[in-house]
Amino acid sequence: MNVPTEHMLILAGILFSIGVAGFFLRRNLIVVLMSIELMLNAANITFIAAARQHSTVGDLSLEGPIFAIFVIAIAAVEAAVGLALVIALFRRKQTVSVDAVNLLRD
Amino acid sequence: MADFLFYVAALVAVLTALGVVALKNPVMSVTSLLGCFFSVSMIYLLAGFQFIAAIQIMVYAGAIMVLFLFVVMLLNLGTDEMTDQVEQHIGKGARAKAGIGVALAMLVLSLVAALSTRFDGVDPGLAENGNDPVPALAGEMFTRYSLPFEAASVLLLATAVGVMVLAKRHRSPRPASGANRETGGAA
Repeated sequence: MNVPTEHMLILAGILFSIGVAGFFLRRNLIVVLMSIELMLNAANITFIAAARQHSTVGDLSLEGPIFAIFVIAIAAVEAAVGLALVIALFRRKQTVSVDAVNLLRD
Repeated sequence: MADFLFYVAALVAVLTALGVVALKNPVMSVTSLLGCFFSVSMIYLLAGFQFIAAIQIMVYAGAIMVLFLFVVMLLNLGTDEMTDQVEQHIGKGARAKAGIGVALAMLVLSLVAALSTRFDGVDPGLAENGNDPVPALAGEMFTRYSLPFEAASVLLLATAVGVMVLAKRHRSPRPASGANRETGGAA
């Protein structure tokens, strides 16, 4: 595939912006967590694009894929902790709305 | 052909990502995000990163999405919770305005940054030969990056314990303290 690196970076930028919009616009905590996953995915695409840009057939640049693997591991951790918090919140307040979490307001 | 497939996968990824944000039903959001992960995995595959594509499918589509779907089903959010809050499933007011502003600023910034940078062309043989051979990846991972690797494993263990503590149902302390007193007396 001979797609220029710019186009992969543009795709990553669009996905990251959609993730940011979802993070601020949605009130369902689960969808907010999914928006964060979307942003982590966009970051992974930039890592992959940069690794591809800096590699040649004889001399591969492996930092990109390795950091992508670490990002995926962190994403799994984040999803697990976030969903456990969602379950704890649902037990206490019977809702998953972001607006229900206002105990520390003011 | 591979170029065309890249643009198809990119279009599907953007559309499904929009679906994650815009769809009302959380189950549909999860399904949409699943489609996004699969198309991103296809992009990795086209770029020659076969191992990352496999990891993306296994960890994201296999594990994380099942976790999300499990929680959505466990809390039974598909029906009541959402129909009660249809009018506010996309927020309004200052936070929404700030969110749209930040998202548009990020979009413009990334587009300007990507388009104003001059990149040399990529090596055309990369996609055929594979960009992430597993032996080389493992060699780097277990030598140069062994400390982050071990830190990630400790983090995963701490997460497993922490999630169990967080999601545990707290029982009333009365029977537990009674049992403690009994065992203390016996000892």
